Amino acid sequence: MISSINPSVKGISILIPGILLSLAFDVITPLVFLIFILTITFLFGDVSIKRWLMFFAPLSLFALGLAWTSMLHTNEKYSGGELLVDFWWIDITTGSLQVGVSLALRSMCFISLSLLFALTTDSTKLMLSLMQQLKLPPKLTYGILAGYRFLPLFKHELDLLRQAHQIRGVSRKKGIRARFGRMKRYLIPLLANAIRKSERVANAMESKGFTGDRNRTHYHEMRVRSRDWVFLSSMVAALIFAFYLSYELGYLNIFGRTF
Amino acid sequence: MNQWKLKEIVLMSILGVVFGFIYLAFFGVGKIFTGLLAPFGLGDLGYEVIYGIWFIVSVIAAYIIRKPGAALMAEMIAALVEVLAGSTTGPSLLLSGFVQGLGAELAFALTRYKDYRLRILIFSGVGAALLSFPYHYFTAGFDAYAPWVLTLMFIARVISAIIITGIIGKFVSDQLAKTGVLRGYALGKELQEKRERNAA
Repeated sequence: MISSINPSVKGISILIPGILLSLAFDVITPLVFLIFILTITFLFGDVSIKRWLMFFAPLSLFALGLAWTSMLHTNEKYSGGELLVDFWWIDITTGSLQVGVSLALRSMCFISLSLLFALTTDSTKLMLSLMQQLKLPPKLTYGILAGYRFLPLFKHELDLLRQAHQIRGVSRKKGIRARFGRMKRYLIPLLANAIRKSERVANAMESKGFTGDRNRTHYHEMRVRSRDWVFLSSMVAALIFAFYLSYELGYLNIFGRTF
Repeated sequence: MNQWKLKEIVLMSILGVVFGFIYLAFFGVGKIFTGLLAPFGLGDLGYEVIYGIWFIVSVIAAYIIRKPGAALMAEMIAALVEVLAGSTTGPSLLLSGFVQGLGAELAFALTRYKDYRLRILIFSGVGAALLSFPYHYFTAGFDAYAPWVLTLMFIARVISAIIITGIIGKFVSDQLAKTGVLRGYALGKELQEKRERNAA
């Protein structure tokens, strides 16, 4: 379902809450929105829960780590309230607990929003839609698509380089300096080959009559349909609802100011 | 964009693609550092010490191609490639790519795209650090952190930009120019001229 939404519209629908959620420093707003995202991911996303969790679990663990930082070293603006924990150098107040939980929930919102996009979007369609709807120049679009197609080749080349070094007995020293040297030995030839390829691709494109003109026809025509607008407006509506509910319950906190 | 040759655009795209994947790989590196520092509640610092890597394609593309917009566009392409590859940071990466690229572009714009000495490349990296920090202040909720943690993070980011973006960025480009593959681009031409002058 969501995989058939126009990629540009989908990207914008994900960006808007991604920016506006950064305003909220309370617990309720990100919590309500997180519940909404999870609901549409699993109702309409066609995403397998196992695959989703594989991405979500490690990332949210990371988000908890960041929340831990803000909980321990809270800015005075947020650290009011009763002292909950006072242990060695750790002291946590209700204020810092709240802001820590809020930041963790916010990161989880961002993670699930991004997963909703990443797991339901085809990369070629995204590029074509960027060109057709958001007017990305064709020269850039096809350049990026060509580069993207080279990736399996890069991996193959890396394997070749590794084998070539191995067969010649290039020393495999340990330590940071040796590691840096190894990075240089792989990176420079890989990049050099990539640059050679890019030059050949550019020549091939020009020789086949590619001018980069915007007035071109498209084999795969990307369109914006009414359901794309429905998706966009429901995302915005859910975001407004989350802020409103938090405001009604008296929790809304924007950059340290309670409303 | 009209003054650009197609091969320069494709080169910039390919650099964006390659570094997009390098950027993705460095998220893993950042996580390791974060894990090491997290018990002290300084997890965020783990990313800051290697932050310069995420600005490097700007400096490399601008230094090689030497056209207005190279730093900004290369950084945005790298961000786009991260999104294409299914980065879990999602489309908002494009915004941070834009902010970082803009910061890097600033140094070149101020010198009217004529000066590409090491100090300008370093300045470009620092520009990206300066502009990206307030952006992350906003999106990552830095507002909730104590001032001394923020200061430490900021200093780490600037130093990382000087070393990784400026110095290593120039080093990688110069090494590439030495292989001869950049003969058709501004940096390669400059090297060629220098050699001819030395020979004469």
